[in-house]
Amino acid sequence: MSSEHTAQIHHSEGNHWNGASEPFKASYGKLMMWYFLLSDAFTFSAFLIAYGTLRFSMPTWPVPDFVFSGLPGGIHHKPLIFVTIMTFVLIASSVTMVRAVQEGHRENKKGVVFWMVLTILGGLGFLGCQAWEWTTLIGEEKMSITRNPFGTHTENGTYLDGDGHDIKAGDSFKAGQSYLIHYHDGQFHPLKFKTESGDVKTQQMGPKSFGALFFFITGFHGFHVFSGVLFLIIIALNVASGLYARRNNHYEMVEKIGLYWHFVDLVWVFVFLVFYLL
Amino acid sequence: MSSVHHQEQDQLIEKYGYDDHFHEHHEGDKFQFNFLTKYIFSMDHKIIARQFLFTGIFWAIIGSAMSIIFRLQLGFPDASIAWLKPLLGKWIVLNDAGVGTLEPEFYYALVTMHGTIIVFFVLTAGLSGTFSNFLIPLQIGARDMASPFLNMLSYWFFFLSSVVMFYSLFLSTGPFSGGWTAYPPLSALPQASIGSGAGMTLWLVSLALFVVSVLLGGMNYITTVLNLRTKGMSLWRMPLTIWAFLVTAIIGLLSFPVLFSGFLLLIFDRSMGTSFYLSDIFVNGMALDRIGGSPILYQHIFWFLGHPEVYIIILPAMGIVSEVLSVHARKPIFGYRAMVYSILAIAFLSFIVWAHHMFMSGVNPFLSNFFVVFTLIIAVPSAVKVFNWISTLYGGNIRLNTPMLFCIGFISMFISGGLTGIFLGNSAIDIQQHDTYFVVAHFHIVMGVAAFFGMFAGVYNWFPKMFGRYMNDTLGKIHFWVTLIGAYAIFGPMHFLGMAGVPRRYYLFDKFDAFSGFDTMNKFITIAAIISFFAQIVFVINFFWSMYKGKRVTSQNPYGSNSLEWTTPIDAGHGNWPGKIPTVQRWSYDYGKDGIEFTQQHVPLREGETPSDH
Amino acid sequence: MGHLSYEESKKVVLRGLLILAIVTLLEVFVALIGKGYIINGFHLPIWIMYGAMISMSLYKAYFIVYYFMHMKYEVPGLVKSVLLPTMLLLWAVIAFFTEGRSWHDWRAQKNDRPIASLTGVVNEKESKMETKHGQVEEQKNEQMTKDSTLQTDGNTHDEESTSEETQHH
Repeated sequence: MSSEHTAQIHHSEGNHWNGASEPFKASYGKLMMWYFLLSDAFTFSAFLIAYGTLRFSMPTWPVPDFVFSGLPGGIHHKPLIFVTIMTFVLIASSVTMVRAVQEGHRENKKGVVFWMVLTILGGLGFLGCQAWEWTTLIGEEKMSITRNPFGTHTENGTYLDGDGHDIKAGDSFKAGQSYLIHYHDGQFHPLKFKTESGDVKTQQMGPKSFGALFFFITGFHGFHVFSGVLFLIIIALNVASGLYARRNNHYEMVEKIGLYWHFVDLVWVFVFLVFYLL
Repeated sequence: MSSVHHQEQDQLIEKYGYDDHFHEHHEGDKFQFNFLTKYIFSMDHKIIARQFLFTGIFWAIIGSAMSIIFRLQLGFPDASIAWLKPLLGKWIVLNDAGVGTLEPEFYYALVTMHGTIIVFFVLTAGLSGTFSNFLIPLQIGARDMASPFLNMLSYWFFFLSSVVMFYSLFLSTGPFSGGWTAYPPLSALPQASIGSGAGMTLWLVSLALFVVSVLLGGMNYITTVLNLRTKGMSLWRMPLTIWAFLVTAIIGLLSFPVLFSGFLLLIFDRSMGTSFYLSDIFVNGMALDRIGGSPILYQHIFWFLGHPEVYIIILPAMGIVSEVLSVHARKPIFGYRAMVYSILAIAFLSFIVWAHHMFMSGVNPFLSNFFVVFTLIIAVPSAVKVFNWISTLYGGNIRLNTPMLFCIGFISMFISGGLTGIFLGNSAIDIQQHDTYFVVAHFHIVMGVAAFFGMFAGVYNWFPKMFGRYMNDTLGKIHFWVTLIGAYAIFGPMHFLGMAGVPRRYYLFDKFDAFSGFDTMNKFITIAAIISFFAQIVFVINFFWSMYKGKRVTSQNPYGSNSLEWTTPIDAGHGNWPGKIPTVQRWSYDYGKDGIEFTQQHVPLREGETPSDH
Repeated sequence: MGHLSYEESKKVVLRGLLILAIVTLLEVFVALIGKGYIINGFHLPIWIMYGAMISMSLYKAYFIVYYFMHMKYEVPGLVKSVLLPTMLLLWAVIAFFTEGRSWHDWRAQKNDRPIASLTGVVNEKESKMETKHGQVEEQKNEQMTKDSTLQTDGNTHDEESTSEETQHH
C-alpha cells in the first residue's frame, strides 16, 4: 500500500489530518466513489491481465485490423474505422458529462439536465455500436465464446482453392496473416493451402480464448456502460425534480456519477488498446 | 487509581468537546423507532457489529464441528459413526453389521466447507466485520460510519451469502467438495465430481455476494477513518486497532475485486462453455472440446486475492492484540510508529508474494525465485511486530486476565506458525513439504488459531462495552488454557506427519505402508481436537450466559483504558455520545506517563507536559 | 473547482475533446501505417508500433483522470491514495505475462514430441466409488501402476495435439 503516502501527508499537511476536517477536501461520498472505482479498476485489470496471459500462451493470435474491419451497410476491409467511431462516441459522451458537472457547479439546473441528456444519448449510441459489432461477429462471422474462426498463418504459402469471395486459388499469403474460415450451409469451410515447404494443409480455427475474452471483456465493459446509462437517467430525473438543488451541495451527485462515467471511458481506453490496436 | 472519575470525564467532554448538533437532527432516534429498525435492519454500527459477531459465532460452531467429523474419520477410520446418521443422513453409510462410515465424497465436502467457512465467514466477516464496525466510530470519536446505510447493506449481503452457503450444505449432491481454493477443473466442470454441480454453483453465488459485502464494508471503513475522526485525532494518535482496520480495508478493497474477476471467468467456464481455465481435459476417456486456457491462471488470480486475504485475517487480530496488550500491561505499546510502518509494509508485501502458494503447481521456476525472495522479506516486518509486543510486555504491570492471556497466546502462536512459514516460503523445501500436513499445521497455527486468539481477546475485552456485562473470567481462563494446549497438541504433531510426507486432504491412509504408522498420532490429534472443540463450547456458553447473567459493568472505563470508546455511557445509544463529541488532546497510549497510571485521550495536556506523539 | 473560471474550464473541455480525438486517430493511424495499409509495403517495427500505441493510451488515461475526473485539482493525498495502489499491478503484469510466455514455450516443446494415439491410453472408465474403501483403493492402485507403466514406455498421451484435432472436426 501507500506507506509513503500516509507518512508524507502527515508531515506536509499536518493541519488537515488533525481530525474534524476532510483531509482530502472531499466528502465521504466522493471518496467512496473514488475507492469504488479503484476497486473496479482492479476488477478490469484482472480481466485484462488474464487476457494478456492467455494471449502470451498462444502460438498465434488473430490480427485485430483483420477481425474488426467491417462497417454497417455491408462494407468490408475498412480496418478499425468502426471502432474509431465508437470510441469517438464514448469520448464525446465523456465531454458532455464534464459539461454537466460544470453546470452543476454553477447551480444551473437546466444546463445540467441538457448535458446529461446528451451524455445518455452518447452512452446509448455506444451501446448501439457495440450491439452492431457483436451481431456481425456472432451472426455473420460465427465467432462465439466457444469458437473462433479467425485463424492466423504460421508460414508463407499459396491457397489451392478459393472461397468464392476474397480469396482465389493461387493467392499467396505470408506468415502472420489472419484469415476467416467461412461458414455456410451449416458448416465451416476451411481452405486448403500449400506451404513453402510443399506441405498441403487446411486452415485451422484460431485460439478459442480470443472469442471468449473479447465477448467477456467488452461485454463486462458494455454492462458498465449500460448500468451507467441507467444511473444517469435516474440522476437526471432527480436533477430535473430539483432534489439536488435543495441539497445545496453543487450537484455533488452529478459529480459522482460523472466520475463513474469517465471511469467507463478510461476502461475503454485500455480495452481499445489491447483488443483493437495491439 | 483512575485519574479521572465519572463525572469529571463527562465534564471534560462538555468543556472541550465540540457540538455537532447531532442530537438536534436525530431527535427521538428517527432511524430506530421499532424493533425491526433497531435490532434487525439497524443502521447503528454497534448493532451491525453484533450482528456480524453472532453470525460469525454461528459459522464458527458449524465450521469447527465439521472439522471434528472429518478428524474422527482420520483418527478412527474403523469406528462406527452411525450415531451421526440423524445429522448427516445419507452421507453416513451403514454396512450389514451396523457400522457407519463417512462417505468419501462428503469427507471432501466437509474439508472444503470447513476451509471456506472459517476463512471467509468467521475470520474475515466475523473478525474484521465485528471489530471494524464496533471500534472504528467509537475509537476515532465518530457518531457512526460515514454511510450507515451502506454499512447495513454490507451486513445483509453477508447474511444473504451465509444463507446461500448454508443452503448448499443440504443439497442432495452435497456442498462443493473440491477444496476451499476451488481450483479448476474440479470447480469448472459440473461433471467433475459430485459437489461440482449445484454445490459449486451455490458456492460461487455465495462468495460473489460475500465480495460485495466486503467491498461495501471496506469503502465505509476507509472513508470513515479518513473523514470522520474527531477534532485532534490525528493519524498518529489513533489506536493501533484503527490502523489495522484501515489497512485491512484497503487490502480487501484491492484484492477482493480480483477474486471477483476470477470467479466471473470461472462462472463462464462452468455455464457458458468457455475455456479460460481449461485445457487438455479428459472425462471418462473422452477429450473435452475445451482447450487454450490454463488452470494455473485461476490459481494466480485466486492467490492474488488469497495471499492478501491471509493478512485481511491476521491484521485485525494484530491490531486488537496491540491495543489489549498495551492496556493490560499498563504500558504504552513499544515502537508505535514501527508497528504502523510494519502493518503498511506487510500490506504492501502481501500483494507481491502470491505465487508462493503455487510453487509446485507448475509455475515457471525462474519466476518462483522472485516470489521466494519477496516472501522471505515478510519475516522482517512480522519480526518487528513480535519484538515490539514482547517489549511491551517487558517490565509491564501485567493483569493476567482472559483478554491478556489470549494476547500472549496470540504472540506464541504467531511465532510458532511464522517460523514454519520460513520453511515453506523456500521453493526448494516446498518440494518436500507442499500439500502435506506441514502446510496444514503452518497455516492453522499462524492464521487460524492466532487469528481466533486475536478475536477471543477482542471479544473478552470489549464484551463489557458491547453488552454492559463482563464475561466470566474463570470460564475464560479454562477456555484459554484448554485451547492453547489443545491447539499445540493438534497442530504440533502435524509437523511431523508433514515432514514424513503425509499428504493433506486424504480420506484414508491405511493402504499406504509409509503412512500407516501414524495411526496413533492421528488418534492423538483427533482426541485433542475434540477436547479443544468442547473448550469452544465453554466459550459459547460463557458468551450467551454473560449477556444476560454476567457481572454488570459499573464504571464507564473499567480497564483504565485511554481510548475514546470508554468515554461513552455504559449503554451507549445511537450517536455514541449523549452530548458533545470529545476532542482528542493526546496520544492513545499514555500509560504510566509522568507517574500517572493512564490518561485518557480527551484529557488536555498537563502543564509542562510534552506530548508523546511527537 | 474554483481553480478555473467557468469560461476557462469550458475551453479545457473543448481542448480535451480535441486532444482525445487526435490521439485516438493517431493510434489508429500508427496501427494502420505500421501494418502497411496506408503505404503499400511499408511496415513499422513492432516495438515502435506497440510502444507508441501503449504510450498514447497511457497519455489518454492520464488526460481523462487528470482533467475529466478532475484529479489535477484534488489534494495530493487523494491523488496518491488512488493512483499509488495501481502500481501494485505492475508486478502482477510482469509475473502473469512471464507465466503466459512459459506456458507457450512448454506447449511448443510438448508439440515437438511424437503424437501418440489417444485410444488405449485412457480406455477405462473411472470406476464408481463404492463405500468399501478397500475396493476403491485397490482399483486406484491398479490404475496408478497402469499409468506409470505407460509413462515409462514413453507412450505419453499428448493431450494438446489430440484435443486440437478434436476441435477441428
